[in-house]
Amino acid sequence: MTPDQPVLTAHRAGLVGCRSCGRVWPVDRETCDRCGADLVPPDRRGLQKVWAWWLAGLIMYVPANLFPMMRTQTFAGLQGSTEATILEGVVELIHYGNYDIAIIVFVASVIVPIAKFLSIAWLARVAGKPATVDQAQTRLKIYEVVEFIGRWSMIDVFVVAILSALVQLGFVASIHPGPAAVSFALSVAFTMLSAQSFDPRLIWRGLPLRSRTDDTGQD
Amino acid sequence: MTDQPPPPRPASPARKTAVRAAQAGINIIWLVPIIALVVTLGIAWNAYAGRGEVIEVEFTDATGVTPGETALRFREITVGQVEGVSFTADLSRVVVRIRVDKDVAPYIDSDAAFWIVRPQVTAQGVTRLDTVLTGSFIEGYWDATVSAPQDRFVGQERPPLVRSDTPGTWVTLAMENADGIGEGAPVLYRGVQVGRMENLRLADTEDQVIADAFIEAPHDKRLTTATVFWDTSGFSLSLGASGVSLNVNSLSSVLQGGVAFDTLVSGGQPVEPGHVFALQPDEDTARNDILASDNAEPLRIAMLIDDSLRGLEKGADVQFQGLRVGQVTDLAVTADQETDKIRQVVTMAISPFRLGLPAEATPEDALAFLQEAVADGLRARVASAGFLGTSLMVELVDIPDAAPALIDTGAQPNPIIPSVPGDLEDFTASAQGFLSRIGNLPLEEVLRSATDMMNSVTAIASSEDTRAIPESLRQTLDQARGAATDIGGMARELREADTAANLARLVDEAAAAAEAVKLAAADAPEMVDSIDAAAAAVEEFNFSEISAQAEGILADLRAMLGSEDAEQLPRNLSDTLEAASGLLNDLRDGGAVGSLNDALDSASTAADQVAASVQRLPQLIGRLEATAARADSVLASYGDRSAFNTEAVNMLRELRRATEAFGSLARLIERNPRAFILGR
Repeated sequence: MTPDQPVLTAHRAGLVGCRSCGRVWPVDRETCDRCGADLVPPDRRGLQKVWAWWLAGLIMYVPANLFPMMRTQTFAGLQGSTEATILEGVVELIHYGNYDIAIIVFVASVIVPIAKFLSIAWLARVAGKPATVDQAQTRLKIYEVVEFIGRWSMIDVFVVAILSALVQLGFVASIHPGPAAVSFALSVAFTMLSAQSFDPRLIWRGLPLRSRTDDTGQD
Repeated sequence: MTDQPPPPRPASPARKTAVRAAQAGINIIWLVPIIALVVTLGIAWNAYAGRGEVIEVEFTDATGVTPGETALRFREITVGQVEGVSFTADLSRVVVRIRVDKDVAPYIDSDAAFWIVRPQVTAQGVTRLDTVLTGSFIEGYWDATVSAPQDRFVGQERPPLVRSDTPGTWVTLAMENADGIGEGAPVLYRGVQVGRMENLRLADTEDQVIADAFIEAPHDKRLTTATVFWDTSGFSLSLGASGVSLNVNSLSSVLQGGVAFDTLVSGGQPVEPGHVFALQPDEDTARNDILASDNAEPLRIAMLIDDSLRGLEKGADVQFQGLRVGQVTDLAVTADQETDKIRQVVTMAISPFRLGLPAEATPEDALAFLQEAVADGLRARVASAGFLGTSLMVELVDIPDAAPALIDTGAQPNPIIPSVPGDLEDFTASAQGFLSRIGNLPLEEVLRSATDMMNSVTAIASSEDTRAIPESLRQTLDQARGAATDIGGMARELREADTAANLARLVDEAAAAAEAVKLAAADAPEMVDSIDAAAAAVEEFNFSEISAQAEGILADLRAMLGSEDAEQLPRNLSDTLEAASGLLNDLRDGGAVGSLNDALDSASTAADQVAASVQRLPQLIGRLEATAARADSVLASYGDRSAFNTEAVNMLRELRRATEAFGSLARLIERNPRAFILGR
């Protein structure tokens, strides 16, 4: 297949791909004979799920940043308890000079989720829209990255969970998860669901019938 | 490529997908974000609604207050947190912003008090050491009533000693000065602490110090209007008839002062909060202050006095039938318009109860009682009181023959009770006379003379001469006795002689003359001259035998008189010798020469004996003289003899008495040394 050739997609070939195992079947098939999954033709209506999970994740991301992530209690609260949100924690880490950890936390807890939100929103927005093959491949790459990296956003939640479990020194010090931990975990989960709800086949739906070079050739 | 069949068309155009999506019904998945939104908003609202209210508390400094950490506690439970610290506009104070929990915020109203809890070291002990470990926190206190909310408070510098909800009664104590009483001083009832004093401050209008005292329930029931308070600060040392007494209360009251109260008389009314009690300086004063201890209102009555009132003071007793019924509350001067005289107004407060009226008697009852008594002759007068009579008191006494008078009930501001002059002048005069006599006593001179006398006595007593005196006296007396014996023998012989009457008288006179020997000392030479003349006359006498005899006598006499000692023979002796000379003349003229011979023989013998005895007399006299001279010199050192001697004798008598007194005192001290310190 030369770049000049229009891309033959399954849809154009009158086929439908199984989302479980990837085998293509004729459009009129209902179930995949290989894995038994239902064969669903790509449909922009499925994007509703993406948007719904995305919105839920976005909503949960707000309290995740406003509420304290973790509550540190020393001397049974006599010395005072410290509550820190994600960003406060980052600032505090910078304050203490732990720049590397601060960067990790910042990337995992702030940059990655926000990038995910932006990526999913953009993918859902442009899904099914006309695109060149290159554009479609870029979208596919982004989708794969989002899919892959989504679970790593949970690193912050894991840290809190592990610390809460480990640092229970009774009177001296104890760490409890704050309300933001739950919110953040939910936010990450929702965005992962959102990313999973996204049907990557839609990326290919918007490909032009003629190659881009044809268009340029006509010009 | 044209031969090729056209690529299969999509089942539906992509664009139609979008349209269909738009047209499609709402998927159930949208419930997820909606639920998420609702939950989040719910959490957010919950957090917002439950985050409490911000109050601001001013402190002079915010030691240990850290924003975000320092807690606000109520009954040791954290109910808020410091959010921020800033300054007032003039930078003079610190404003602490505290976020208070929602559920307690409504209770924080105008009665709330805030203070910073830090470790404290006071006379009562060390408190809040836990804040050393945990850091200080702000403690607040408020009651359970909800009133108009308030969000700006002024923090207290230190914890209130009494929390506002502690049951009890606040009363006010007024005192002259606050010596020894500190903030937080305990209030004691029979030695048990039942409260505290706070807010020691100067009264705005009067020259007084006032303090709030808090009496905890249920002890505040013991407070009545008849309660008296007194100061128990420090310790008191009193020296009285019963010895030295040192009263020390608890160490805390020494350091911090304290007050005690007691209700001495029953029947007082329960006190309202804020009742003002006068703080008495000590317990005795408090217990004797009948106006304070009697719950009934005293009768205020005045008397007018012309005399000086020196010695009458505020607080002096008013006595009736010898009992205290009141005290003088005021002394003033008033000008009588009619007589233009200056008179003293003595205002008294008389307790109706003490007059013998029922406990619930009013001042009007007391006035009526006194009106009757005045009609029967009761009068007020000033009398002396006290041991020396230097202080005065007012007496209500019955004067049976007093001029009729009535209480001037119309007088302002107080009724005036008729008065009679007291025995003040007499008292004053006698007291003054007594004092002036004491003052005029020549104590210094007496002491000086006594000292001199003592010194002289010491000097004399220690001199050798003085020690020799007794022996000399004894010798002198022995010799005098011997001389007297000789003289007695001689006189007997003379008496036995028939013709010796004149000579015996002569010798008697000579003996008498010897007593005044020293007075006649100056006349001795003249006497000798006359004796010489007499002797010359005798020599002229022709009777040789008589002459020889007489010469013998005269020679003896001359020998006697010529001696040094004889020069001091008295004039009486000279007269006697003149008489002897006359006798010899008579003899010369007389005819009884023969008998005279015999007489003169015996006279010569007698004269010999006289001469022998007289020869010893000068020695005696000389010794007596020497003794007298010594005594003279002793006594001369005391100045005027007779007066001083009397005084010295008196003085010695007094000294002896004093010595006896000292002796008895010494014996007393020996028996009971404690008595010297403690009295009996």
